[in-house]
Amino acid sequence: MASVQSRLAVRCRGVTKSYGTGDAKVTALRGVDLDVELGELLMLVGPSGCGKTTLISVLAAILDQDGGECTVLGQDVRRLGARARARFRGETIGFVFQQFNLLPTLTAVENVAVPLLIHGSARKRALDRAAEVLDAVGLGSRVKSLPSQLSGGQQQRVAIARALVHEPQLIVCDEPTSALDHETGHNVMELMRRVATGPDRALVVVTHDARIFEFADRIARMDDGHVLEVVPGEAVRGTRQESQP
Amino acid sequence: MNRIAIKMLVGDRAKYLGIVMGITFASLLITQQAAIFTGLMTRTYSAITDLRLPDIWVMDPKVQFIDDIKPMQSTKLLNVRGVAGVEWAVPLYKGLLKARLDDGNFQTVNVIGLDDATLIGGPPSMVAGNLADLRRTEGVIVDAVGAEDKLAKPPRLPGGPRVPLAVGDTLEINDRRATVVGISNNSRTFQSQPIVYTTYSRALGYAPPERRLLSFVLVKAKPGQDLNELTARITRVTGLAAYTREQFEQITVDYFMKYTGIPINFGIAVVLGFIVGTAIAGQTFYNFTLDNLRQFGALKAMGAQNGTLLKMILLQAVTVGLIGYGLGVGLASLIGHVSRGTELAFRMPWQLLALSGTAVAIITAFTALLSIWKVMRLEPAIVFKG
Repeated sequence: MASVQSRLAVRCRGVTKSYGTGDAKVTALRGVDLDVELGELLMLVGPSGCGKTTLISVLAAILDQDGGECTVLGQDVRRLGARARARFRGETIGFVFQQFNLLPTLTAVENVAVPLLIHGSARKRALDRAAEVLDAVGLGSRVKSLPSQLSGGQQQRVAIARALVHEPQLIVCDEPTSALDHETGHNVMELMRRVATGPDRALVVVTHDARIFEFADRIARMDDGHVLEVVPGEAVRGTRQESQP
Repeated sequence: MNRIAIKMLVGDRAKYLGIVMGITFASLLITQQAAIFTGLMTRTYSAITDLRLPDIWVMDPKVQFIDDIKPMQSTKLLNVRGVAGVEWAVPLYKGLLKARLDDGNFQTVNVIGLDDATLIGGPPSMVAGNLADLRRTEGVIVDAVGAEDKLAKPPRLPGGPRVPLAVGDTLEINDRRATVVGISNNSRTFQSQPIVYTTYSRALGYAPPERRLLSFVLVKAKPGQDLNELTARITRVTGLAAYTREQFEQITVDYFMKYTGIPINFGIAVVLGFIVGTAIAGQTFYNFTLDNLRQFGALKAMGAQNGTLLKMILLQAVTVGLIGYGLGVGLASLIGHVSRGTELAFRMPWQLLALSGTAVAIITAFTALLSIWKVMRLEPAIVFKG
């Protein structure tokens, strides 16, 4: 049992979360149980408003749950103070956002170096490391480009490099392909599969995009604040292949 | 992170320039209006400042400022001379009299009559002639600004420039002939009347006959004499008011501050500059922060502490504050430099720079506070909202 625990990146039990009070109260999570193992890419899927974003906010340690337990990389983050939690996030979690959220006035390499600079790395060292990671995502020739000079796919690759640069153990991705066309989205997921996954790292990807389900090791289906089922990725791939003529 | 903060700031050119312009405008208006106000206030007592030799001014107790002449009996001079601690005391006549010009026009002039024997109380420097020339028959010394402007002679040719009054020219003061024997260099005065120096006895001759004609008694204290003690002693012994030069300057400024609308008018301009600058800079900086809210949220999500973001915003605010302050004060200085020697009263002592610096610091702090408040309360979860 202990060895299973130690391979878990995320362990949620009975997690609840509501917003607002009184008549305006909205319950986003109604007792979520979910495990994410190191080495796997888990996709959170479901209709809008089902609680996906709230759940990744909780397991990315940027939102407190109201009830239940959630340990991330063995740490009950709700017990951490604000400073310790920010440090924990910065050291162990990488983020890929739907809108990329690159700083528009920084070059690609400076954007990628941001997580290292936040934690006090020397500028030159941070930029050297950022250039390496950009090279790994195929943007070695665009280190000096501003986000506005890059295509959507390239910007998302910069965002992936930024999520990887400090070698986090957990990467959370919020709709990473929704702002991209099908082919670019496919390429981005291939890249994530290739450079972001590893035996000591877990990826949690929130998505609506059924076309990228094939990249998942497991898929957690959510609805109305519950995780309804967690199925292996192969099952979805099999279903999709069977449904194709 | 400091470099990132600066890049974020200057990257949005329009907003960056808007914030800097707002602070520059506030800094310029506050500094320039306050400098003109200071210049005007300085001019109210320039007649006192120009008269460096005496330590103490003695006058009727009802006098409220330098141009508020309440003549005393001439015997008061002797009373003052008899006070212990007085090295010397000389009379000074000061009064507004009418001068008739070559073209037949009349011009009010500020006649200053100096002690016949010592000529103490004369102009700070001469452009032409010597102070001692006042001893010549009918001799008067005219200040350069008055000579070139209000006392100038008619043009030699129609439509041409007026001819400045020069040594050797004559004018009439109260129907008495006066010959210009020198041109002096004086600080500009608040009332901007031409200044005409002459001897005390000759000034009494110009003045309408009155029983009391002594305007002030100028006193030099004996070496080592405490001036405050001496002024108190003069008042006790003679019943007259006695002030040190600095005290009389302050009394004059206080009068203008209290009884004229000048401080209110300039104060309104300064306050308007402050308010408008704060509004422009504050709103633009706040909008800049709102535009970057997702970026700040992303930085928070990636582990940036509130303290780090606080420093970034403060650095941005201090940067625009310093640039805006520098530009505003620089422009104000330029205006002062260009207007040197003109009618525009402009004086910018270091205290004024400190004042406008404080005002800009308050604007900047207010500007930053709005943004800091927003960013500190920002939930990093904002980055997951499409």
